[in-house]
Amino acid sequence: MISADVSRAEGFTPPGPGDFDLQPLFGGTYAFAKPGLQLILAAVLVLGFFVVTSRRAAMVPGKAQFAGEQAYGFVRNSIARDIIGSKDFMRFVPYLVSLFFFLLLNNVFGLIPFLQFPSFAKASFAYALAALTWVLYNGVGIWKHGLLGYLKLQSIPPGVHGPILLLIVPLEFISNLLVRPVTLALRLFANMFAGHLLLVLFTLGGEYLLLEADQVLYKPVGVVALLLAIAISFLELLVQFLQAYVFTLLTAMYVQGALAEEH
Amino acid sequence: MAQHSAPLSRSADPWAAFGRLVAGVAIYGALGWVADHWLDTSFLLPVGIVLGTALGLWTTFTALRQA
Repeated sequence: MISADVSRAEGFTPPGPGDFDLQPLFGGTYAFAKPGLQLILAAVLVLGFFVVTSRRAAMVPGKAQFAGEQAYGFVRNSIARDIIGSKDFMRFVPYLVSLFFFLLLNNVFGLIPFLQFPSFAKASFAYALAALTWVLYNGVGIWKHGLLGYLKLQSIPPGVHGPILLLIVPLEFISNLLVRPVTLALRLFANMFAGHLLLVLFTLGGEYLLLEADQVLYKPVGVVALLLAIAISFLELLVQFLQAYVFTLLTAMYVQGALAEEH
Repeated sequence: MAQHSAPLSRSADPWAAFGRLVAGVAIYGALGWVADHWLDTSFLLPVGIVLGTALGLWTTFTALRQA
């Protein structure tokens, strides 16, 4: 009896990495699918939001301008200024603000009906974004310290002297120039990927148990699964915000590290 | 902008500890693996991994003590 039930439950196809290979919308060799469209949409929305809220800037801000300034001020003050310091931070504010809201929108797309896919659940997108951060902080460091000075800054940790440097320098170099961008991309990608997979599992599983499984006893379980899917959506909202925040915060930290005075 | 804020110290990045551990294990593990192949032994890979972890920990501690 139990084995018969199990075999019936096997009519359900569990979600897997295959669910992330979306049908291309158009294009052959360079196929263009929904995540790519979402990147463009997010860029347009972020640009539109800040243009609309700052176009007619008044001394006494209206509602729209207030919202725009709050959004901008959050990244400017609590990420850029607090991390990079008030001497150098203004030059990086435009990039950090764009980065944060671009990421936030792309992540939240995971919950928006009809889009329902976090763009950065595509690993290649996350790696490309981390590459931008990598180019930024290395560029800034080389510009400030010169190539040799920068390599010295990034490969000699503070407070390490003497022959042990021979062992530490390669470690610190790999840690700062290779591990950093990889973990930056992986953290974003894995969080978005896992969150989407979890949502797909709970919604598809709940739907299957409720409507397609021919066991009456499965139906309440399906209802519970669908309720859990809603709860997980709220959790995902938090994760989506946090990942956008962490990515931007770490970008600011790396820039600050590259600008730091030699010790 | 009235308040002047100094930049955080370099070691404030919490992921630096993770990076150092991973880098230590990766480099000295790889060196141990290569040495194992050259010398036809099998104990240098674990030795390298442990040494890399120790160096990563030591670097983290030292850098944080300076901060």
